[in-house]
Amino acid sequence: MSSPQKTVKVTIDNRVIEAPEGATLLQVMLDAEMDIPHYCYHPKLSIDGSCRLCQVKIEGMPKLQISCNTQVRDGMVVNTLDPEVQSTRRGVLELLLLNHPLDCPICDKAGECWLQNFAMRFGSGQARTVEPRRKHGKRLDIGEQILLDQERCILCRRCVRFCREISKTGELAVYGIGDHSVLDIYDRRVDNDYSMCVADVCPVGALETKDFHHKMRVWFLEETASVCPSCSNGCNIMVSSARRQIWRLIPRRNDDVNDTWMCDVGRLNYKFIDDPARLLAPQVAGDAGLVETGWQSALERAASSIADFIKRNGAKAFGAIVSPHLTNEENYRFGELLSAIGAGRVAMAVRRGRHDDFLIKAEKAANARGVRELGLVKGADDGLGEMLRACEAGEIKALYICGDDMLDAVAPERLAAILAKIDLLIVQDLKLRPQFGRAAVVLPTTTFAEKDGTFTNHAGRVQRIQRALESPPGWVGDGEIFTSILNLVSSRRDRFELGEVWAAMTRDGSPFAGLKLDEIGPNGAALGTPGGR
Amino acid sequence: MSNANPLLAILSGLWVSTRHFLRNLSRFARGRQDFAIHFPEQRLVQPPALRGMPVLVQMDNGKERCVACGLCEWACPTTCITIYPAETTDEVERYPQIFDIDMARCMFCGLCEEACPEEAIVMSRQIEIASYSRRGSLWHKQDLLVPVNQLKTRTDYLRRNYDR
Repeated sequence: MSSPQKTVKVTIDNRVIEAPEGATLLQVMLDAEMDIPHYCYHPKLSIDGSCRLCQVKIEGMPKLQISCNTQVRDGMVVNTLDPEVQSTRRGVLELLLLNHPLDCPICDKAGECWLQNFAMRFGSGQARTVEPRRKHGKRLDIGEQILLDQERCILCRRCVRFCREISKTGELAVYGIGDHSVLDIYDRRVDNDYSMCVADVCPVGALETKDFHHKMRVWFLEETASVCPSCSNGCNIMVSSARRQIWRLIPRRNDDVNDTWMCDVGRLNYKFIDDPARLLAPQVAGDAGLVETGWQSALERAASSIADFIKRNGAKAFGAIVSPHLTNEENYRFGELLSAIGAGRVAMAVRRGRHDDFLIKAEKAANARGVRELGLVKGADDGLGEMLRACEAGEIKALYICGDDMLDAVAPERLAAILAKIDLLIVQDLKLRPQFGRAAVVLPTTTFAEKDGTFTNHAGRVQRIQRALESPPGWVGDGEIFTSILNLVSSRRDRFELGEVWAAMTRDGSPFAGLKLDEIGPNGAALGTPGGR
Repeated sequence: MSNANPLLAILSGLWVSTRHFLRNLSRFARGRQDFAIHFPEQRLVQPPALRGMPVLVQMDNGKERCVACGLCEWACPTTCITIYPAETTDEVERYPQIFDIDMARCMFCGLCEEACPEEAIVMSRQIEIASYSRRGSLWHKQDLLVPVNQLKTRTDYLRRNYDR
C-alpha cells in the first residue's frame, strides 16, 4: 500500500472487524470468511442488488439491508444470525426455487452450484407450491461456446454485467418484466473473446460451456492451480483433471494478472495434452527414417552426436532454438547445457497472433519473458533473424530445436531450405513433424500440465505451475533431458531438482535473485521487487 | 436397546441361534429329513429386500432410465461404477454413453440404488454372476439393462421403505 488507507471498525455478530473505508459490507464479511449467501454480487463486477439474498440486520436501520450495496461505517453493528435474517433468506430462496426446474441430475453445474449450496445451507428444504413450474427455453444455442437454459436462470444479471463491463459487447440482457423476465440475446450471439466467462460467473447452470457440456461431474475433478500456457499474459488457472485426463481449464483469481477472467482460446487450449498424435517415445534416425527407441539410448545418441559434431566442426557451428513454452528452470538448465557445449548462437522462436488490450497478448507462449530474463537470447527478434541468416550462410551446421514455434515464425520454404542444409538436427517437440524429418534425434517434450516449475509472464511476474497429470512410468521430462545430455557431454553429475536449479538460478546478479521458490504464492511474484511483492 | 449393554447384545445374539436350534430340533423330532435346498434344481424365492447384483432399469422404449448424473458413481464405496455421459436429442438430454460395473469389486451394499434420483439403478434378485475371468465380471450397459416390469417387486419395495 502506498498511502495508509483509512480504516473503520464494524461489529459483525459480536466480532469487531477492521475494514478499509468505503468497502462494501458484503466484501468485508466475505473477507472475514463469514458464510453469507449471495448471487448477484461479484467482486469484479458492478453492484446490482437484484438477488436480495445477502440481506443483514444493521442496528439503527428500520429494515434489513442488502449488504452488497451498503458501505461500512465506523461503529456499524451488524447481525447476520438474527431469526429475521434467516427467515428472509429462506423466503428469498423459496422464491428463487419457485420456478427452478430442479434438473440437477442432468445439470453440469450440479456440485458447484450456488443455488444447491445455499438452498441446502439456508433454504427450507421443502417446496410448498403445487402449481406447475414456468416453462422457458432450454438448451438454447446462443453462442459459439455457450448454451443457455432459461428455466435454471435466477436473473442475478451477473452475465449481463459481464458482457457490458468486461467484454464490453453487451450481448445478453434480461427481457420482460415481473415473472415474465427472461435472460436472452437480442440481435447478436455471445461470440466475444471472453464469452465462456459468463458460464463461470453464472451461479447456477443457466449458462454452460459447450466444451464441458455433459462431459464430467465436477465432484470427480481434481483442481490443480497452474498458469495458462497459451499466451504471455499468464492468466492464473485451475486445471481440472480426472481419470488421467484434463476436462477443462477455469480461471483462478489473481488481481495482478487476470482478475477472475480468461479468454476462450486459452480455455480451450488443453486438448493438445491428450492428442493421440503426441510423441510417446524418443525417435532416432535409422537407415529407413526415424525409429522408436528407449530414452537412455536416445539421450546417449543425442550427446554423442553433439560431441562428434563439435569435434568435426567446432562449437561455433552449433546453434540452438530455445522454447518459450518450457519453464524458467528447464530453460536455465538448457542454458547451462549450451554454455557447456559452447554453442555459437542461441535464438528463440515465438509464435505470434492476435492480441487485444485486455488479456490476450500477441506472444502465444507462456515463458518468452523468462527466456529473455535468463539472458539466453538477445535482440529485438530474440536473435532469430541472425540465426536464420547464419544457417543460410553455412555458419551454423547443427541445430537443437526445442518446441515447434519455428514452424509458424519462419516462412515454410525458408525453413525447409535451412533445415536441408543442417548436418545435425536434434528436436524436442510434442509431435513428429514432417518438417523435422531429417532429425537425428527427436525427443518428446512435456506439457505444462505434467510438470512443476515457474513461468515468467510478459510483465515479469514469476508464477508457479503444478503437475496435474502423471507422466507414464519412465518418462523423462524436459529438464531431465537437458540434465542428462549435460552430464553426458561434460563431467557433471547433476540432477534436475527444482530447488537445486532454483538456487543456482537465483544467485546474485540474476534477475531472479531475491526470489525464493516456496515464497512464490498463489498470485506469483514480480521480478525486480524485493520479496517479489 | 441391545447396543447399550454389551452383555445384552451377546445374549440376544445367542437367543437367535438357540431359537433356530430349538425350532429345527422340534421339526427333526416330528420327522423332517431334509434341511437343505437342492440348488440349482431347487431355488429359494428371494424376499424383495435381497440385494443382488445392481442392474439398470430399461424403459418401455428400450432405453435406459439413467441420465448419467454420476451420483451412484460417487456413492459407490468400492468405485466399481464407471460412467461416461453424453448428450442426446431426446427430451432428457443426457444419457450414459458408457456404464460399466465391475461385479468383481461390487459388494452389493445398495448405496448406488439409494443415491439414484431417477430410480434407474436397482438391486436385482440376480445373484448367479460368477464368471471364469476378471473380464467376465465387467458388465457393460447393454448387459445390465433389465426391463422395468421385471423389477416391479424391488421398485415397490424401494418406494415403500425408502420414503420416496
